[in-house]
Amino acid sequence: MAGSTQSKVAAFFNFRQVNPARSLALLGIGAALGLAIAGVGLFTAPGTSTLIVPPEDVASVNQRSISRIDFTVQLRAQYDVGPSEATPEQRRKVLDDMIREELFVQRGLELDVAGIDPSVRAAIVSAVEEQIVADVLTRQPTEADLRAYYDKHQSKYSNEGRMTVFDLVTQSSQEAEAAVRALREREPVAAVAARFGMRDSGRVKGEEFYFAAKIHLGDPLFALAQRLQDGEISDRIPMPDGFHVLAMIKNIKPLPVTFAAAYNEVLSDWRSDGGARLLAEDEVFLRKRANIIIAKDLR
Amino acid sequence: MIFVVLALVAGSIAIVARNYAFRRQMVATDPDELPSSRAMLRFAVSEGRPSYLRHCASCHGTDGRGDRMKGAPSLADNDWLYGSGRLSEIEWTISHGIRAADPKTRNVTVMPAFATPRPIAVTNIPPLTPGDIGDVVEFLREIGGRDADSAAAARGAAIYHGRGACYDCHGRDARGDSAIGAPKLVETAWMTGDGEREAIFTTIARGRKGVCPAWGDRLGAATVRALAAYVYSLSHNSETPK
Repeated sequence: MAGSTQSKVAAFFNFRQVNPARSLALLGIGAALGLAIAGVGLFTAPGTSTLIVPPEDVASVNQRSISRIDFTVQLRAQYDVGPSEATPEQRRKVLDDMIREELFVQRGLELDVAGIDPSVRAAIVSAVEEQIVADVLTRQPTEADLRAYYDKHQSKYSNEGRMTVFDLVTQSSQEAEAAVRALREREPVAAVAARFGMRDSGRVKGEEFYFAAKIHLGDPLFALAQRLQDGEISDRIPMPDGFHVLAMIKNIKPLPVTFAAAYNEVLSDWRSDGGARLLAEDEVFLRKRANIIIAKDLR
Repeated sequence: MIFVVLALVAGSIAIVARNYAFRRQMVATDPDELPSSRAMLRFAVSEGRPSYLRHCASCHGTDGRGDRMKGAPSLADNDWLYGSGRLSEIEWTISHGIRAADPKTRNVTVMPAFATPRPIAVTNIPPLTPGDIGDVVEFLREIGGRDADSAAAARGAAIYHGRGACYDCHGRDARGDSAIGAPKLVETAWMTGDGEREAIFTTIARGRKGVCPAWGDRLGAATVRALAAYVYSLSHNSETPK
């Protein structure tokens, strides 16, 4: 008997010969190992644990996790200590507050608070929009993508133009004409203004960005000023408050900003456009799958 | 031969089990205590690096030294826009981002665009003229120890501390405020440019509002913790075991 057992064991471990028992045993071990690995993965995956709190969380409330990261930040915000420095009372207080919040959120969902409270509805809409757009934000476009976007929208990416201009005004048309002639003969602005009784309108002071000059001069005068070259004098301009003459000292027109200088804006705009597209597509998807019935008088 | 194979399998299982245990412990540990455990920090850093290269290097560089063209700050200089470089603070930023689509994202304010009619939406700061911005540029260069026009710098100081309201975010001493992500403007490595006049002018004129995505939901707590440890290690080289 002993000899028979020994010979069976010897045969089991004799890898030079086929042994059905060994094959079955290895099959069983492999299957058991596979099941064990699958079980560990299944029962410790996030959201599946029913009895234990995953290590990345501090608590679970009806299968909703309270994350350790949030707990740590809350502890620091409230007591300016980390989890290892906090007293048990401090840890308990923060945890109780967070559990309370989770309970009330879940209760709010049960009561369908979103159906009646406009501020909750607005917050949910905002949160869902953020979730949709988050996909775009975590994607880093290639430089080629951004360059293509920059090339397509290059008119958006330019420096703000600047101008230094004098805006002289008089009630007399003839004085204005004479002033134009004098200025075009390179007489100083101050001298011409004094000689022909013109006054500075006071609308523009020193060098201004285009947007500011436009606000101060008004659209008609700005449109004319924009076209003047350095040192150029406008014709007499009749306006409701008198006759204006524009003396352009320096006009720096908007220049395209290089791709490198505009990189941050291009990236931001690319993401905004991508987010807007995703939101629009999601809305189309939500409308398609929803059962929307509209009252007859509003169809 | 079979014993070699079995030994390899057993060894692999042991490594997987060890890493699993380390990962669980890494996540459960107080993040600010992580650096005090050399083995744990080494593990976390090794886990964090591949994720960094995959998700962060495109902006912050493979060496973590940032990219001035992209306005991505250096992570290796221990000079933090937000917080003081604690691992928990880094982790929060990675998890919830900056101006990201996340309800807990860091988003207190942006750098106003002073060459626009309304520099910032949330408050009524007036725009600045080109001359004003030029003066502020000179002021910033002067306090940064660079060559500057003194008279313009004096005018710039008045704007900085007055109608420009720069002090409100960057501080009266221009040392920034890491509670709101306002960078310091002295003794600093600039996030964009290198302190050249044109670069500072552009920043003040056009504003800045950089974005760091929120990775928490996409990567999970363990990866975020490892990433935070890796980023921490970039500026704490002497503490990080190799």
